[in-house]
Amino acid sequence: MLYALMGLGLSLITGILNIPNFAHGALFALGAYFLASTLHVVGNFWLALVLAPVGVAVLGLAIEYAGIRPLYRAGHDYQLLFTFGLSLILSEGIIVVWGPIGFSQLPPPILRGGLDLGFTFYPKYRLFVMVMAGLLVLGTWLFLEKTRYGAIMRAGIEDKEMVSLLGIDIHRLFTAAFALGAYLAGIAGALTAPIRGLSPGMGVDMLGIAFVVVALGGLGNLLGAIAAGLLIGVAQSIVALYWTEASVAVIFAVMAAVLLVRPQGLFGIR
Amino acid sequence: MSRAWLAVFAAVILLPLAVRHALASEIWIFAIFGLGLNLLLGYTGLLSFGQSTFFGSAGYVSGYLLKHYGINVFAALGIGVLVGAVSAALVGYLCVQRSGLYFIMLTFALNQMFYFIAYQWTTVTGGEDGMPGIGRPVLLGVDFRQPLAYYIFVALLFLVSLWVMKRIVESPLGKILQAIRENEVRAQAVGYDGARLKLLAFVIGGAFSGLAGVLYAMLFGIVPLEAIGFVFSGNVVFATLIGGSGSLYGPIIGSFVFIWLSESVSVVWARWPLLLGVAFVIVVIFFRGGCVEAWARFWSWRERRRMATRLAS
Repeated sequence: MLYALMGLGLSLITGILNIPNFAHGALFALGAYFLASTLHVVGNFWLALVLAPVGVAVLGLAIEYAGIRPLYRAGHDYQLLFTFGLSLILSEGIIVVWGPIGFSQLPPPILRGGLDLGFTFYPKYRLFVMVMAGLLVLGTWLFLEKTRYGAIMRAGIEDKEMVSLLGIDIHRLFTAAFALGAYLAGIAGALTAPIRGLSPGMGVDMLGIAFVVVALGGLGNLLGAIAAGLLIGVAQSIVALYWTEASVAVIFAVMAAVLLVRPQGLFGIR
Repeated sequence: MSRAWLAVFAAVILLPLAVRHALASEIWIFAIFGLGLNLLLGYTGLLSFGQSTFFGSAGYVSGYLLKHYGINVFAALGIGVLVGAVSAALVGYLCVQRSGLYFIMLTFALNQMFYFIAYQWTTVTGGEDGMPGIGRPVLLGVDFRQPLAYYIFVALLFLVSLWVMKRIVESPLGKILQAIRENEVRAQAVGYDGARLKLLAFVIGGAFSGLAGVLYAMLFGIVPLEAIGFVFSGNVVFATLIGGSGSLYGPIIGSFVFIWLSESVSVVWARWPLLLGVAFVIVVIFFRGGCVEAWARFWSWRERRRMATRLAS
C-alpha cells in the first residue's frame, strides 16, 4: 500500500509536470525524519503524523516555485540534473542534521504489540499503516475523480495547453500537483518510520521502487499506479518469504518481465 | 590535425605534470565514460540515467577475472568492453521502445536492479564493501603498478577512444543518429529503423562505459559498490552536460571540471556530495549549455564588442 502511495504521488508529478522527479525519494525520507523530530518536540504521535507530511508539502511547494518552475522549457536533461542535485542536497542534509547512523522509531503506545486475527498474528501498527495508506489512496483518488480541482488535475495530464486555454492558471496547477505529490511521499515516509526505522539511505531505495511503480502503471495513469503499487508489494512479500536476499531485485525483475510483454506498462495506453 | 586535437594532446602531456598521476588517470577514464554517454545524450538525444550499470558490471566481471584468474590486461579490457556492450544490449532492448520520461525512468530502474544484485551478491561482489584486490598485471615487461606507466596506458586508450568516437559520429551512422535526435518520425519515414539504431547507439555507449569501468577498477584496485550506483550515473550526466553535450569534446572538458570539482570539495567537508548537489543546481539555473557554449557565448560577446568599438571610432 505504501508503494501505491509513493507511486501515486510520483505519477501525479511526472504526469502533470512532465519532469523526472529524482528528489521523490528524498522527500519520502524527509517525511520520516520530520515525523521523528516533530514527535520529539510536540510529544504526540498523531499530531506529528499530521504535521510532518504538511512540512514536506510546504517544502515541495517552495521547491517547485523557486527551482522547477523556470525549468519547464529547459528539457529533461536539465530537469533531471536539478532534481538529482536536489536529492543529493536533501539526503546529505539529512545526514548533516540527523547524523549518518539510522535509528528506530517506536509506534505510539496504543499501536504496539500484535493483534490476533484468528488465522495469524499481525503487528497492530502494520495493520494501521495498511488501513491508513488505503484510506489515503482512496481519498486521493476520490479527490482526483470527484472534485472540480481533481478534474482540472486530470485534465492537466491529458492536455496542458487546452487547460490553460480554458482560463486556468497552469502554473498554480503545477505547484499544487507537486505539493500534493510531495505530501503523499512525506506521509508515506512518516508512516514507514516506525516499521523500518530511519536511515539516510531509505529515500534512494524507495525512489527506485516508486519509478518502477510508475513505469508499470503507465505514466500519468493514477489507477495504474495504485494497482502496480499493490502488485509490487505483494510480489515482494511473497518472494521475501522464500528468498529474502532477492526481494528487492524481484521488483525490478517483475518490471522487466512486464515491459517485455507490454512495453507501455500494465495500464498504459500510449 | 585540427586545433582541438592539438589541445587534447597538450592536455594529455601536461596533465600529469600538474596533478597526481592517479587523478590524471581518473580524468581520462571519466572522459571515456562521458564519451560513451554523449553518443546517446548529445548525438542521439537519449538521456540515459543508467550508464553506471555498464560501467560497474564491466568492472565487476573483469575485476573478478583479474583477481581470481590473473588474466591478461588486454583480455580484461576486451571482456570489459564486451560486458558493457552486452549489458547495454539487454537494458537497451527494454528501454529504446519508449522515449522521453519513460526512457529515463527505465534506465534508472534497471540501474537499480543491477545495483541491488551487486549489493546482495556479496560472495562475488563483496556487497557494500566493494570488491578489493584487483591487480594491474605486468604487460610486455612494463610494470603498470607504476602510476606514470598506468597513466600513459590510460591516456593512450583515451586517445584511441576519442578517435574511434570521432569516426563514429562523423560516419553515416553518426549522421543518422543525429537525424533521429532531430526528428525520429522523419528519420523513420526515410527508411531508417529508429529503435534498432538507438539500440546500436546504446550498445556502443555501453562498450565505452565498460572500457572505462575496467580501467577504473584497475586504477583503484577495487570496484566500490558506488561504481554501479545511480549517483555515478548522475555524475556522468552532469559531467557531460557541464562540458556541453552538443560537442564531441564537451564530455572531456566536463570530466576535467567534474573530477576537479569533486576532488576539491571532498577535502573541504565530509558531506561534499551536498556541495556537489548545490553545484548541480547552480549549473542548471545559471549555466545551461555547458562550458562549450559558455565559451562560444564569451567569444561572440567579445566579437560584438570589438565591432561596436570599431563602429564607434
